[in-house]
Amino acid sequence: MNLMVNGKTVPVPDAQALEPLVWVLRDTLGLMGTRYGCGIGVCGACNILLDGKVVRSCQTLSETALGKEIITLEGLAIGEDLHPVQQAFLENPLQCCWCMTGHIMNAVELLETNKQPTPAQIDNAMNNNYCRCGGYNSIRANVVTASEIASSLPSAKRLTIRRKS
Amino acid sequence: MKRTPKPDAVARPKPKPDAATRWKTTRRRFLIGAGSLGVLAVGGYFGLEAGRPLLVDRIEGGGAPSSPAPSNPNLWFEIKADKIIFFAPKFEMGQGIQSALAQIAAEELEIDWRNLELRQPDSQHGFSPTFMFTFGSTSVKDLYKPIREMAASLREMLRSEAALQLGADVSSIEVKNGLCSLKTDSSKTLSYGAVVAAKTGEWVMPKTPPALKAKAQFVSIGKPLSRLDAKSKVMGQPVYSMDARIEGMLYGAVARAPRFGAKLETASAGEAETQVGVVKVVLDVAGNFAGVVAQTRTQARNALKFLELTWTGGTSISQAELDTLVTAKAGTGVVIRNRGQANLQGDVISASYRTPFAAHAHLEPLAALADVKEKSIDVWVGTQAANSDESAIKKVVPGNRSIKIYPMQMGGSFGRKGSQSAAPEAARLSAAVGEPVHVAWTREEEMQQSFYRPPTNTLMQATLENGMIKAVQQVTASGDILFSIIPIPAFIKNTIGFDFGTLSGQFLPYDIANYVVRNQRIDLPIPTGPWRGVGLMPNVFALECFMDELAVAAKTDPLEFRLKHTSNPRMKAVLEDVRTRSNWASPTPSGVARGVAYCTAVGTFVAMVVEIRLEGKEIIVDRVTLSIDTGIVISPTNATLQARGSVVMGLSSTLLEKITIENGAVVQTNFKDYPLLTLKATPKTIEVHFMDSSEPPSGMGEPVIGPVPAAVANALFALNGQRLRELPLILE
Repeated sequence: MNLMVNGKTVPVPDAQALEPLVWVLRDTLGLMGTRYGCGIGVCGACNILLDGKVVRSCQTLSETALGKEIITLEGLAIGEDLHPVQQAFLENPLQCCWCMTGHIMNAVELLETNKQPTPAQIDNAMNNNYCRCGGYNSIRANVVTASEIASSLPSAKRLTIRRKS
Repeated sequence: MKRTPKPDAVARPKPKPDAATRWKTTRRRFLIGAGSLGVLAVGGYFGLEAGRPLLVDRIEGGGAPSSPAPSNPNLWFEIKADKIIFFAPKFEMGQGIQSALAQIAAEELEIDWRNLELRQPDSQHGFSPTFMFTFGSTSVKDLYKPIREMAASLREMLRSEAALQLGADVSSIEVKNGLCSLKTDSSKTLSYGAVVAAKTGEWVMPKTPPALKAKAQFVSIGKPLSRLDAKSKVMGQPVYSMDARIEGMLYGAVARAPRFGAKLETASAGEAETQVGVVKVVLDVAGNFAGVVAQTRTQARNALKFLELTWTGGTSISQAELDTLVTAKAGTGVVIRNRGQANLQGDVISASYRTPFAAHAHLEPLAALADVKEKSIDVWVGTQAANSDESAIKKVVPGNRSIKIYPMQMGGSFGRKGSQSAAPEAARLSAAVGEPVHVAWTREEEMQQSFYRPPTNTLMQATLENGMIKAVQQVTASGDILFSIIPIPAFIKNTIGFDFGTLSGQFLPYDIANYVVRNQRIDLPIPTGPWRGVGLMPNVFALECFMDELAVAAKTDPLEFRLKHTSNPRMKAVLEDVRTRSNWASPTPSGVARGVAYCTAVGTFVAMVVEIRLEGKEIIVDRVTLSIDTGIVISPTNATLQARGSVVMGLSSTLLEKITIENGAVVQTNFKDYPLLTLKATPKTIEVHFMDSSEPPSGMGEPVIGPVPAAVANALFALNGQRLRELPLILE
């Protein structure tokens, strides 16, 4: 079967159709930006964008992604040109950063629909991901920074999910 | 069986020093790498007592070394024509240690820290043969001086050689930004790399150590710089042990006992062997091991369910029995402090405090990749203690193979990855199948098959006289912390009588004339071990809640009560500072209360005030104010993250976390029944203030977690008069 990942069509063995996407992305496709943390959809480290919406890839079987657009952490930057949310987390990193992908994906989805979220909206959108190192206040601040970075970009580059052509 | 090809599988880079480098000892404490053209390497050998070099001092003393001389350094710089590489012997688990050490090194080396290429050494280059731990908030504290001395010596060697090459006197050479320039003619400039490339003959180290910079001259130390490892992580590059990949690798999964201490009695492959993707079933009843190797991780895990295994023995203990075991009894345990006459006469104030088992809950579970060949074993693993991984692998893979460990970065650890089994499991499976095997634990395995923060019970008894503490008797009962991970024979444990891991934060840091502390070691059938701060948080919870109770009995403001009981100027300073910054004296709005707690740990002084309110039966912490004296702050960025992170992890323990045991097994399975603190519950304001200090740096990884639960419990008492003496704090 073929999956559409970060703008490319990639083959995946049929035998893995019923495997959780997190392992197919990581082990089969070598995309290590998607992280495993709990396998039950609680911690959010495995967040990816499926047709623009955040899903837990540990709770998503590969076959359910057929015909849909998967974007992982690796798909956010275009070459060295970082996504505004990545840029914000680069300037103010978390500690171990294992959970960071999940927060980045949440923020990308949030800013896609709400360019300038209020603190309460940020708390609501970002609450369902764990950070054991306790970087939640950095995460709050980084969403604001990302929103500022995005609004300072020329309008053509302002899209938070930038599809590679 | 045909294996799925990995289109993009790339062997991980194997960091190692220049192959041709041979190390020569100098007259001073360092080692100079020789034998490589165009490379200057300078290193040192640091054991547990960093900065006290073993080797050269002995040689200079005129006798043969009393122990085998280390053949290579465990901390060193290599200057090449195009770059400077810094091999730092400390493992990254999120604490930012490599960046902090680079900030220290750049200072005396006179370079921009971003121009240092940082590498973790592998186990055959730059590992101390006995100790190579990253633990106990000691890295910066121990390496601060040695790194500066080494960097300064290296800089002076480059300056002297540059002077020779420019035909000038050493005193006329200025060193800045990695360049040696003639002070009077800046067109005469050589980069470090150029100096090294043009060098002929042997390098000589200056006989006397160069003077180190004073704090006022620092340009790198103390600056709020970002992290050297941030870019790779934000781009999702493979840096963690769960990311390790090499060509042709397979995936392993290991069967787990249904209760602690149970041993495999019988094992057969059952239908596991015929499951899709299975390459090999590995059964070793005598070795208490059953595992599966398959083409994918999911296939290996699935096949595990088809093994036919029976288990025998082990514990069937329940939580109620454990609670009874962990009971501090007055007058029992070994006396570890005995000051003055601590007989309690008159009105005795008494309280007993409890903390539960807790999980580390680092978000990247254990993982390791092992490649066992005829004569060698290569292992990629995130570890706090690479040497103990090496010995664990030796125990389970027979034969005389050379073992090389490549430490990967850790997605959190908090003590967990100092003692782990993913590496030996992967090695065992790789040896059986003859191919590289990766093993990653599931969250369920982490929750149920780990070791835990031990449960504690502390009994505090005291008398007051004229509003001051007259005498205190304390009994601390705790499960093991370090005894469980250090190979010490049982009789020695019994002779010592207490686990020294419990010592962190165990004593009231106040001036108390009459003070007896007893330590009851509780040998539990449930594995326990180091968790961030070892004994610190459970100890400080008891001590600082009790200080609050004594202050109330003495009718004194709790913060003032603490100040009245100390003469230590650094301790006084942080308490006074937190009083001001938290507006301690100002009245709180209705429904809001403040609590204070203090601790000293790893040389760091921490005073904390929290502000809480209630929403129903939920404790909401709105604001945390911290005043910290950790000596010179190397990296304000990392130190602040450590402090804030400790508050959040501490609050998670204070409000939520508890592991319980039934029938010898952990009840909780995953985050659904062992939830962690989330973003919404995190105080919006966690104000961190570091005291201005010229003292050498002390630890920052652990100390701040100490006072968190006590500060919250004390605030709750201030709010509604309710004393909760057991973690997590749950309102009935």
